[in-house]
Amino acid sequence: MNFDFARRQFLYQSLTGVGGLALLNLLNRDLSAANVETVNPLAPRQPHHAAKAKSCIFLTMLGGVSQVDTFDPKPALTQFDNTVMDWSKEKNTDQPNLFAKPRLLLKSPFTFAKYGQSGMDVSSLFPHVATCVDDMAFVRSVQAENGNHPAAVFLMNTGSVIPGRPSMGAWLTFGLGTENQNLPAFVVLPDFRSIPFSGSQQWGSGFLPASYQGTVLRWKGEPIHDLKPPAEVTSDLQTRELELLRAYNHDFLQKHLTNPDLQGRMDAYELAYRMQSEVPGALDMSKESEATKESYGLNDTTTESFGKRCLMARQLVEKGVRFVQLYTPSQSWDGHTDIAKNHEKNAKETDQPIAALLKDLKQRGLLDSTLVVWMGEFGRTPDNLAEQRATAGRDHNTRAMTIWFAGGGIKPGALVGATDDLGFKAVQDIYRLRDVHATVLHLMGLNDMRLTYYSAGRNMRLTDTGGRVIQQVLA
Amino acid sequence: MFNRQMLGLSLIACSTLAGATNTEIFRDRVAPILTKNCASCHSVGAPASNLSVATLDALLAGGKHGPAINPGDAAHSLLLQYVRGEKTPAMPLGGKLAPETVAELTAAINAMTPLPMLTRKRDPHMDWLLRKPVMPAVPTVQRASWVVNPIDAFVLARLEAKGLAPAPPADRRALVRRVYFDLIGLPPTPNEVQAFAADTAPDAYGKLVDKLLADPRYGERWARHWLDLVRFAESDGFAIDGERPTAWRYRDYVIRAFNRDKPYDLFVKEQLAGDEITDKRAKAEDKPERAVALGYLRMGTWEADANFKTQLRQDFLNEITTTTGQVFLGFTVGCARCHDHKYDPIPQKDFYRLQAFFAATRTDDRPAPFLDVEHPSERKAEFRRFEDEAEVTGDAAKKFDEELKKKFASDHSKNDFGKAIKDTKNPAFTADERKKWESLHDAARRAKESVPRYLPLAYSVSDVVPPQVPAVADTFVLGGGELSGKGEKVEPGFLSSVTGKSEPAVIPFSGEGSGRREALAEWIASADNPLTARVIMNRIWQHHFGEGIVRTPSDFGINGDRPSHPELLDWLALEFIEKGWSVKAIHRLMLTSNAYQQASESPELQKASAADPDNRLLWRANWHRLEAEVLRDSLLAVSGRLQSESGGPGVYLDIPADVAGGFEFFKWFPSDEKSQLRRTIYTFQRRSVAMPMIETFDGANMSESCSRRNATTVAPQAFSLLNSEFTNSEAKHFAERVIELAGPDRERQTEESFLLVLGRKPTEAEKRKTAEVLANLSSREALTRLGVVLFNSNEFLYLE
Repeated sequence: MNFDFARRQFLYQSLTGVGGLALLNLLNRDLSAANVETVNPLAPRQPHHAAKAKSCIFLTMLGGVSQVDTFDPKPALTQFDNTVMDWSKEKNTDQPNLFAKPRLLLKSPFTFAKYGQSGMDVSSLFPHVATCVDDMAFVRSVQAENGNHPAAVFLMNTGSVIPGRPSMGAWLTFGLGTENQNLPAFVVLPDFRSIPFSGSQQWGSGFLPASYQGTVLRWKGEPIHDLKPPAEVTSDLQTRELELLRAYNHDFLQKHLTNPDLQGRMDAYELAYRMQSEVPGALDMSKESEATKESYGLNDTTTESFGKRCLMARQLVEKGVRFVQLYTPSQSWDGHTDIAKNHEKNAKETDQPIAALLKDLKQRGLLDSTLVVWMGEFGRTPDNLAEQRATAGRDHNTRAMTIWFAGGGIKPGALVGATDDLGFKAVQDIYRLRDVHATVLHLMGLNDMRLTYYSAGRNMRLTDTGGRVIQQVLA
Repeated sequence: MFNRQMLGLSLIACSTLAGATNTEIFRDRVAPILTKNCASCHSVGAPASNLSVATLDALLAGGKHGPAINPGDAAHSLLLQYVRGEKTPAMPLGGKLAPETVAELTAAINAMTPLPMLTRKRDPHMDWLLRKPVMPAVPTVQRASWVVNPIDAFVLARLEAKGLAPAPPADRRALVRRVYFDLIGLPPTPNEVQAFAADTAPDAYGKLVDKLLADPRYGERWARHWLDLVRFAESDGFAIDGERPTAWRYRDYVIRAFNRDKPYDLFVKEQLAGDEITDKRAKAEDKPERAVALGYLRMGTWEADANFKTQLRQDFLNEITTTTGQVFLGFTVGCARCHDHKYDPIPQKDFYRLQAFFAATRTDDRPAPFLDVEHPSERKAEFRRFEDEAEVTGDAAKKFDEELKKKFASDHSKNDFGKAIKDTKNPAFTADERKKWESLHDAARRAKESVPRYLPLAYSVSDVVPPQVPAVADTFVLGGGELSGKGEKVEPGFLSSVTGKSEPAVIPFSGEGSGRREALAEWIASADNPLTARVIMNRIWQHHFGEGIVRTPSDFGINGDRPSHPELLDWLALEFIEKGWSVKAIHRLMLTSNAYQQASESPELQKASAADPDNRLLWRANWHRLEAEVLRDSLLAVSGRLQSESGGPGVYLDIPADVAGGFEFFKWFPSDEKSQLRRTIYTFQRRSVAMPMIETFDGANMSESCSRRNATTVAPQAFSLLNSEFTNSEAKHFAERVIELAGPDRERQTEESFLLVLGRKPTEAEKRKTAEVLANLSSREALTRLGVVLFNSNEFLYLE
């Protein structure tokens, strides 16, 4: 080991890191320590290639959105409404129970129109989003591989049906670090009416170090657990605590310069201290104009939850947060009965906020550097069990779903893939979830094959054996 | 000429096509020679060098020098090397085979089909790993005075070979703290530190180790390491995440096993085949305990509402096969589920042969009366209490429902009642009515859910027994790991790379099960298994020394880490078996070694870190960051509030509503305050509700086997430890305790605080700084803040 190098490295870290208080003493001291460098796991890192987007906002539509009622119109469904379908030839081994019995096609209760210069099809569910289609790229041919909610949500988030693998946000921050050292790199904004299955495992770091796990911010009340001390601990008291802690830790460090974690933890406390002041400021709603709040739907109880979180997402990426993931309530889009009512409710809660987010990002010049992704864990069937005809719902469909991208590196107005005439199955340019992952990583400057971490006997990847970047959505 | 060559080629082709199996080649061409020339010494019974030539398998299993033949590769077969005299002594001893006999042996072995794993490039690491350890000679060292037991000799020999010296002994305070946290997971009291520091008797430390090993808190500490490995949790995971009401009995079983120093081989057998084993040590009266031990097989996640039951069962079998490979054998067999293992010598078929041992197993909540140590009468009383309470509260809730429904029914349909009562916007009910409705229903639900926790059941498994076994248990290789890829049918069999055989295992007749798991358990927990003892020795070493001798403790394979001290690991494994698989005996050996008692700082830092930057050779002690549970327990210990009650159903901690609330299928009801002050191992482990503090301090992932905790340093840890209600509340109790112990003098109070948390008095500089920063505060306020600061200090969180 090169001692001068190690020493320089340590001094450099002390100088640039916030825990530089040991520095004055150290400069006059013969440092006999070898591996005393502190490595900040969240320091910004060079991407594999030039990134198109610096941040990503992932809008997660839990439950599975029906493609034929949103962005993939199927006139044939109207024509053959109520027609018995026989899927036995499809060999649908995924959900034999569902497809063993007679099924009836169900026309969409919504009307479609073409919007924008791209002439994109959007149903009456999304009047606001419809005004943004020229900034968006749609993929109608994504297949989910698993038709059970829990497994499918894990697959969407982690690339694996096994609970406890690192999530997409963890992989991204592991690969790229983050630009704002005063805020968490990976922020999760769930809807507390019901959080996703398995809770924090959906944004966990799995076998990656815990530094990469998502930090949950709440949209009501304190945004982070224990961000502020209990009420009786005044800022005077907290200042005293931190001063005393620094002093003790400083003395201890002097005796034990060989343990890099000691400096690391001192740095973590300084970051926490900065977050304590940065987080409330970064998420200060009073700085937003009434018009902005109105546009996100903050004044309407229907749109308030998703709207507030969309606004928070914009504030966070504005401050350099790497990955922000929003969730609708668990299974919210799961319209097995009354698809009209179910999808109307969910679209109402999200349509206006999403459109406001896209326009706000664009207006502030942030859309070019922010990738926005919208998807659920799978699509829905164009039909329903005959015996449940009256319920007018749709079941899980792993064979087709529509997802969309917008922002950094995305080709505006692109339309990729197609489903069959009934919207049952993707038939052209079929992509899997790992291809979506590869595309997100690619746009953020990472090569999915090179982003690896050794665990359990092999180099692991988000995309396992690799994904295919969806080239047609790239600008 | 041309034709003759052609003929020759076709003849060879024919003989291959004729398909003489290795067994046939052995029988027809090899056995006659060996029987005549070798069998007088190398036959079953007590064969020379432990090598028998009686069967093909015996040759493959080999003797003390390794497998005798390498099918398809005579040149690399020991047998040939000895008969040719390439290795000494030349065989047969005192004789010589005729050249044509040697030629025939060579041809016969070359004609054999190579075993799958041996066609790969030979790897010396795998040769070591897959062979039973041979007792290594304890190395001689220059500085013999440093050696208190063979561990030191092995460690020092490697250090000396690099020209390095071990660090001086840790000071008494560092040592006593190290060994307390290590063995019982709690800090020593100031008196205990004092007493040890003052005790200069040469056996003081040895006595301390013995005392701590006999302390029941030892089991509570070390069980956690095992629970990490076996992905212990008390709920199913997935959407419903249903409770496993008696899973706590498995946790208590593990604690007891450590405290009683249950021989590890028996511990393994009980968990894999507690219902089937015929081990003499497994007493009849402990049968219920063994049913509980089988819970190991059910600890994985379980998708209770899965649509596809066949797939669910296959997932269960895959999970248990994979986990068993990792936990007991240190092998990533799971990779072979979809294809031949890319790195390790595990063909895909072996994964399914291993899986076949579990193929007759089904989940089963077995009746298992509470053992005396589980306080049966108290459990029964609790059961009755909750049953009564459930009835009373249930009736009250129902009655109130009726009342409300009556009022509601006049102008609404009955079906909508459930929705209306939960919809705060619905004007049919007042806020008070809703509040009362909720609290009544909560009370009823809480009581009802408590009842099954006290049932005398084991969260366990049982086997489908003959004659149904074959139909249920037929196991097939699954192409790509998919049910749709059903391939060749396989029988239960051990890892072929370990046994050198690919024949089915012999399944014993078993009274209660299919006998399959017993066969597997006997193979794993056997002194002859080259992996089992090494793997557990490495795990224990890892916890004591900070890193394993192999740093990938559940992956000893080709992609895993190479052992830093392979001979030491072999010595430990054999010593362990020799000592009757006693875990405590091994603790004692490791902890009393000088290697363990070193300081964490070395005067030779510069030289040593240049030669060995990762400290693999142990030229100093490694640092430990307190694990999440140890941290929480220790805060409770220094605040004086830790409860010592052991065992029983899990405790529900106060957890913020955004973590514990919002679930459709369960509601989180915190336990009473006193129960919440028990050790963390007794807290209820729900997969979808991670305790925020445990989670930020790198607690184990409850869904997959965790063999090594992370020790990260992230900002949320600072929030948790600095600002949480828990820390601040314990700091207040800490302040009260300090005042009680130290009286009103501020300086004495500071001293007592340091003694309680750090086991030492503050320096003059620390006293000055403390007085200065905490000036103008009341004693209570000052000591509360001081408590928070000390809880957060690096000196508390990191052990030298």
